[in-house]
Amino acid sequence: MPLIELDDVSKVYGLGDATVLALDEVNLSINAGEFVAVMGPSGSGKSTLMNVIGLLDRPSHGTYSLEGRAVARLRPNQQAKARRDKVGFIFQSFNLLPAMTALDNVALPLAYKGVFQTKRLKTASAMLKRVGLQEREYFMPRQLSGGQAQRVAIARALVNNPSLIIADEPTGNLDSAASRLVMELLQDIHRAGNTILMVTHNPELTRFASRVVFMHDGSIVSDEQSAIGEVAAGARRSMYFMPRTTEDDDLAGVSALMTSEANDRKPVAVQSRQAKLKNYKKIKRAKAKR
Amino acid sequence: MIMLKNNIRLAFASVRGAKWRSFLTMLGVIIGIVSVVTIFSLGEGIRRQVADIKNQFGGDLIVVQPGRKVVNDNEVYKSITAITSPLQGSLTQKDLDSINQAAAGATVVPLTRVGATPRINDSNYSAGQVYGTDEKLPLVLNHKILFGSFFKATDLNKNSAVIGMTVAEELFGETVPVGRSLQIGDQSFIVRGVFEDFVSSPLLPEQDYNTAIFIPLVAAQKLNGDQSNIRLVYVKPGDHPTATVISSLQDKLRQNYAGQDDFSVMTQAQNLAQTDAFIAALTGIISAIAAISLLVGGIGIMNTLLVTVSERTREIGIRKAIGATNRQIVSQFLTESIIISLLGGIIGIAISGIVNYVIRITTDLTPVISLEVIGLTSAVIILIGVIFGVTPAVRAARKDPIVALRGY
Repeated sequence: MPLIELDDVSKVYGLGDATVLALDEVNLSINAGEFVAVMGPSGSGKSTLMNVIGLLDRPSHGTYSLEGRAVARLRPNQQAKARRDKVGFIFQSFNLLPAMTALDNVALPLAYKGVFQTKRLKTASAMLKRVGLQEREYFMPRQLSGGQAQRVAIARALVNNPSLIIADEPTGNLDSAASRLVMELLQDIHRAGNTILMVTHNPELTRFASRVVFMHDGSIVSDEQSAIGEVAAGARRSMYFMPRTTEDDDLAGVSALMTSEANDRKPVAVQSRQAKLKNYKKIKRAKAKR
Repeated sequence: MIMLKNNIRLAFASVRGAKWRSFLTMLGVIIGIVSVVTIFSLGEGIRRQVADIKNQFGGDLIVVQPGRKVVNDNEVYKSITAITSPLQGSLTQKDLDSINQAAAGATVVPLTRVGATPRINDSNYSAGQVYGTDEKLPLVLNHKILFGSFFKATDLNKNSAVIGMTVAEELFGETVPVGRSLQIGDQSFIVRGVFEDFVSSPLLPEQDYNTAIFIPLVAAQKLNGDQSNIRLVYVKPGDHPTATVISSLQDKLRQNYAGQDDFSVMTQAQNLAQTDAFIAALTGIISAIAAISLLVGGIGIMNTLLVTVSERTREIGIRKAIGATNRQIVSQFLTESIIISLLGGIIGIAISGIVNYVIRITTDLTPVISLEVIGLTSAVIILIGVIFGVTPAVRAARKDPIVALRGY
């Protein structure tokens, strides 16, 4: 049985002409122990997918089962509890609480679970040791470097022993050295048997993933297994999504978007957005009739 | 339980994190609490003073006064009339004779009012009241003479005076002015004795015998131009039951007033019952006004918390992403609101203690902060924290975690 099973999951935002179809009948199943990288351009629905899987959001349509339990229609409180027990989040901007020490930050999920303080701090301390920050327990987040802060956040995500870890651009705010450290830590965690879902723009990071999913306009357009240690083949193609500038461009002050060399390449999208929306509305009407 | 401890820690951390803002937030509550507690304690102090006055002459002392007084009627306006128009008119010699007849066997002492102001040489003592009375006054009032002696029955035609302690201090400038003389009207009087301190209240100057000068009846009548001008008559029932003496006095006096109760016969305690009721009513009204400032303070807390909630949107988002339930977020912010108002309350009560002390040393009032007042205000403070904390807390909890994580 897969850990995560998404079946025809759609998510619609907004009303009337402002309606946005963020997820369009996505089918995805992830087994325990996988390291899935989700890639795609901005607005492709990566974040929405992550929010739905992470139980921060509820899909408009479709079913979602986490560990065999239907979770698509949970009430906010049940959702919060499921989030607390099953999901660990790692964010691009670390999202540590600034008024708390590293140790307290790591222990926070346990506090919401109702674990006693001594046990809480013990567990948190062990977790910080695991990410190699035992000496930084009583540091405030602002006293930590970006890499250290992210490792504290990883410890926090792990402390509840979740079945799924969701990382949203975990290296987005880090320099390359810190990035490598954080990614190696994630790899380590993956090797220990954790399931990780990572959203990234950086094709290089697919080296660490066992599977790479590409999204475009709310749909999964490609889903490939990838050998760990190698950049996924599809990710190479997706360099298109990552407009790069040369040093000359930087000097000339030219925007990255203007110099995107991939303008002539066709996007991978199968269907136009409008067509999809139309299609979606048709399905919805049919469902209502039934 | 675990969350509560956590929440309290968090609340203190956020108060510490923004000391100045937290103080300003509390200020409304502090002012409210100080005013309410001070007013209540002033009322309580006066109430106790009145109770002491009631009891200092013994429960069975009957006072006969001119004019009608409403007894045991708590309606505020009547009480106010009763206290603001005390003792209009006077009893007549005929009334005194009737009283003497009706209360045979009891000790009867009239107290006549002398209009003249006492003075020494050219310094007037306008605060002093001059009363004419007879030798049985100390007996009836059950009050001791501290220095010297009261005038005897044989001295009633002499110009001697017995004074209260305040008179001794303020007019003579010494504690034992026995043997010195003062002028009342065109007569000169020699101080014979000084009364022991009477219990008094600045709200009831009429009842304050510390500022009184007692002179013999005959001398008083002379000063009044042969008018008796009887202000009140004390009747000590002795062996007779107080109630029967009162009713026989009433029956007898009614004949003098064509069947009308244009006089009052009651014990000292009854006499002061309205004063009590009046003070209670007054305290209630003023503290209701003061309670408005508490309300304003509560709104201040709510306002600040609402701002805080939107400032801490991101924090709320993080907490929710980590798995905080709505209830846990609500309790966090509610705890914070209660802690802020509770801290404000504690500071407020401490300040009212200081205010009380200052009132005590600068005025004759003796405010008392009773445990009831502290208990009541604490309950009100917590209530304020809850009432005005609910809206911000619910707002915080309702935030969508995704939006909140972005920081809006």
